[in-house]
Amino acid sequence: MEVTDIKNEGLSHELKIIVPAEDVETKLKAKLEEVSGKVSIPGFRPGKVPPSIIRQRYGEAVRGEVLEMAVGEAMASALKERDLQPAMQPKVEIQKFEDGEELEFIVKVDVLPEIDPVDFKTVEVEKLKVAVDEEQIEKSLADMAENMAGSEPISGKRKSKTGDIVVLDFEGKVGGEPFDGGKASDFHLTLGSNQFVPGFEDQLLGLTAGSDVSVKVTMPDEYPAENLAGKEAIFECTVKEIREKKEAELNDEFAKNLGLESLDALRTQMRERTESEYSSVCREKTKRALLDKLDNLHQFELPGSMVGSEYDSIWQQYLEAKKNHPENAEDDEVENPEKFYRNVAERRVRLGLLLAAVGQRNNIDVSAEEVNRALIAEAQRHPGQEKKIIEMYRENNQAMASIRAPLFEDKVVDFILEMANVSEREVTLDELKKEIEAEQMAAAEKSQPKKKVSTKKKAAPKKKAAPKKKTPAKKTARSAKKDKNDE
Amino acid sequence: MSWKHYIGEKRVTKERQYELIRTPVITEKATLGGEHGQVTFKVPMSATKPEIKAAVEALFNVKVKAVNTLRQKGKIKLFRGRAGRRNDTKKAIICLEEGHSIDVTTGV
Repeated sequence: MEVTDIKNEGLSHELKIIVPAEDVETKLKAKLEEVSGKVSIPGFRPGKVPPSIIRQRYGEAVRGEVLEMAVGEAMASALKERDLQPAMQPKVEIQKFEDGEELEFIVKVDVLPEIDPVDFKTVEVEKLKVAVDEEQIEKSLADMAENMAGSEPISGKRKSKTGDIVVLDFEGKVGGEPFDGGKASDFHLTLGSNQFVPGFEDQLLGLTAGSDVSVKVTMPDEYPAENLAGKEAIFECTVKEIREKKEAELNDEFAKNLGLESLDALRTQMRERTESEYSSVCREKTKRALLDKLDNLHQFELPGSMVGSEYDSIWQQYLEAKKNHPENAEDDEVENPEKFYRNVAERRVRLGLLLAAVGQRNNIDVSAEEVNRALIAEAQRHPGQEKKIIEMYRENNQAMASIRAPLFEDKVVDFILEMANVSEREVTLDELKKEIEAEQMAAAEKSQPKKKVSTKKKAAPKKKAAPKKKTPAKKTARSAKKDKNDE
Repeated sequence: MSWKHYIGEKRVTKERQYELIRTPVITEKATLGGEHGQVTFKVPMSATKPEIKAAVEALFNVKVKAVNTLRQKGKIKLFRGRAGRRNDTKKAIICLEEGHSIDVTTGV
């Protein structure tokens, strides 16, 4: 085997590999022999077919396999010899592969960069802490009570007014014909909730229980059912009962209705829930800040192919989003989307590689148990098909990796946070909200002019990344991880 | 004057040559003969040894040492309970002079 360097610039290498004809031939022969035991050709007993005939019939097919095998082997040994760690699947270009001649091909490979994580002790991260406000809890309790409000039938002959709940039977007709979904009985309609077609509820005002009324409405033009849109409809309604809203009182009884012991227990639960909510928001923020810092602190060369494929997938998403929601596109139109997304891709790849490297160096691993837990949590989000979901993930390695990646990322971030210089700061909820907003604004603004100067630095793509429901690094952590698995 | 006199080599026309050599026989037994410079073809029932010799020599540009022929009776097959008979075939085993060979797998 003969290996020559064609290109060696930074991370991208190009190797020309020549495999001698004899090597290919021996491989081919071995493969043909393997085949000869299996095939049956008329006129010959199985396994007794002369090699020349096997070769004539199956030579082409086997050659393909042999080519793949020979290329794979030669490439692996060449990379090992040169001590190259490919970042992605290397690209292979076959130059020459003729019968009885040497095999010649070119391998284009991007190697993983040397990553030298900074001393995390020097990284300063601010951790926000939000104290739970008692007032807030009381308020949300009150909200809850309102939502839980029951209703009581009105005795006597009061007339219906806005805010009442009307229990009614109705049948709707368009042009004398009843239509689908136009009929219901014992329907609880809150007047003023605008649940129905505009104008419908107004006509039910001022009625008493037991009265019949026919309601005439014009269906709005944008009504979902096309055959009804814009048509006149008549609804025959019978008002059975008028109920009045009654707010639930905040007491132990209320808590018991919710399956808790007392109002205090409810309060504690609320507090806990709010706390965990706040802390997860804060954590997200801290993590983002940390990732920003790390992104700034590390400037290593990125394998072009990885950035390329990441960019392609982002670009695809972008085009897709543009196609599906053309109306949204204008809001966050970036001046030079190609450049913008390339920066995003670079950031993702950089952070992904960095996190993967840190994780590897410090033996951070995600245990099977943790994966299982996450898997079950994921399955529970689709009630009724838990089994199916779990099965799907079990069978699909890539899907498994997508569960694994965020766990891994979180663990590494935790690890770094432990080492980092973390300062805590207490803020109120409002302050936190403001800060997050300000950050987003700044990010959006900052990204614009920066791109024009085309600095290689990150373009703080938070606003973009958020709707995709991924933190920027997650994706690359996954792909980086996947690549590693592929090796 | 014997009958062989009438079926001289000269009388095998170009068309007849192609009719004579129908297909190579590729079986275990036939390939065995390949080691001894023998090739096997299916030929028409009416083919004669001198004809075959002439045709092979002309088509493959080789020298033939000898031709052996055999008639293989067609199998008796039942079709819907009726006995039928497949056609008989004639095979010719051609022994080539040393140094000559025919690649039966490539075709004419």
